[in-house]
Amino acid sequence: MSASKASRLGEETRIEKVNAELVVLTYGTIVAQICKDFEKDYSQVNKQLDKMGYNIGLRLIEDYLAKSNTMRRCSNFRETAEMIAKVGFKIFLNVTPTITNWTSDSKQFSLVFDENPLADFVELPDDGRAQDELWFSNILCGVLRGALEMVQMQVETHFISDVLRGNDTTEMRVTLVRYIDDELPPEDD
Amino acid sequence: MATLIPSIACLGVIGRNNNPLHIQIFPSYDPSTNTYVPARTSLQFHLLLSSTLDVFDLRARRNAAAGVGLSGDFGLLHAVDDRLAAYGFETNTGTKFVAVVDMRGRRVDGRAGNGGVHGIGVQQGGGLGGVGGGAAAAAASSVGLREGEMKVVFKAMQTAYIKLLQNPFFDPDEHSPLTGTGGKKITSKKFAEDMRRIGEHWGPGVPVI
Repeated sequence: MSASKASRLGEETRIEKVNAELVVLTYGTIVAQICKDFEKDYSQVNKQLDKMGYNIGLRLIEDYLAKSNTMRRCSNFRETAEMIAKVGFKIFLNVTPTITNWTSDSKQFSLVFDENPLADFVELPDDGRAQDELWFSNILCGVLRGALEMVQMQVETHFISDVLRGNDTTEMRVTLVRYIDDELPPEDD
Repeated sequence: MATLIPSIACLGVIGRNNNPLHIQIFPSYDPSTNTYVPARTSLQFHLLLSSTLDVFDLRARRNAAAGVGLSGDFGLLHAVDDRLAAYGFETNTGTKFVAVVDMRGRRVDGRAGNGGVHGIGVQQGGGLGGVGGGAAAAAASSVGLREGEMKVVFKAMQTAYIKLLQNPFFDPDEHSPLTGTGGKKITSKKFAEDMRRIGEHWGPGVPVI
């Protein structure tokens, strides 16, 4: 599928009216509350966010497939990346991250977010650790992992930079681990 | 020819419990030394801000009795002397913004793009070719500040405050507890930066900050 086709798919989709600020505030409150509950053990917080995202991803994929009118599988991982960035993120967050930094084996790429609606207004707590340990938008990693797992792709996702931490960009690294083969029922001879 | 135009000397944000949330002082022009120094000491500004609280209280009560102006611009609260004047704004939630204006706080030369400590603000005035700065100075010195001149400041301060409140890691209860006493100060760097920008950029006739 060509790049322009993918971006058109994202545009065509009806974007429902949900007040963005409500979503952003809800997510922010959740993160802040998890930080409190885990007494600022930020590696645990990252894990929890990822888990929550995973559970969202498992369900969201169905919605994605319906809304994007996907008729067939992506033929390779590059096409998958295109669909994630230009259709998936467009539908659910109305942003289109840039796909860059492919490895030569086409199994690893980066999504660079020019804007991150989840992190609007956010300023990480100034306790000297959050800036180095907390990935505020880590839920997105989980969502991708969960959603791709449902379509037979095992991936590993993590953030490698975030403007909230003072980096220049917000960048997520996605690595294809393997295609999960459908388990065939035992053949009877 | 150098003329002196009004500038902001101090911005204060005061919480619901009359507790100081954020205070920032801006230097004003001192003709005797030709430098920018704060017009008053930090303590004096604190006292000045505290003294405006009574005015807020009085006005609020008078408004309540008259059934008007639940919140909003309180206008001139307190003219301290021929240079300093305090203007106020109160939100519905009881957060108060105070801007102390120094009527002769900034120097504008006849030349455009005059340097100075607060280059950006001065250049905005001088960017109109000096005439604008002169006109602003004339308008300000003749009648003080025009009605509504401070609106833009309070609008910007309120926007910055709303941005601060949207940050999920900012806990409003910590800063203005419902118990009615005390509260922590605002430590956000973004907010301090916004306040600094407002204080340095504002001048008579600046449409947006």
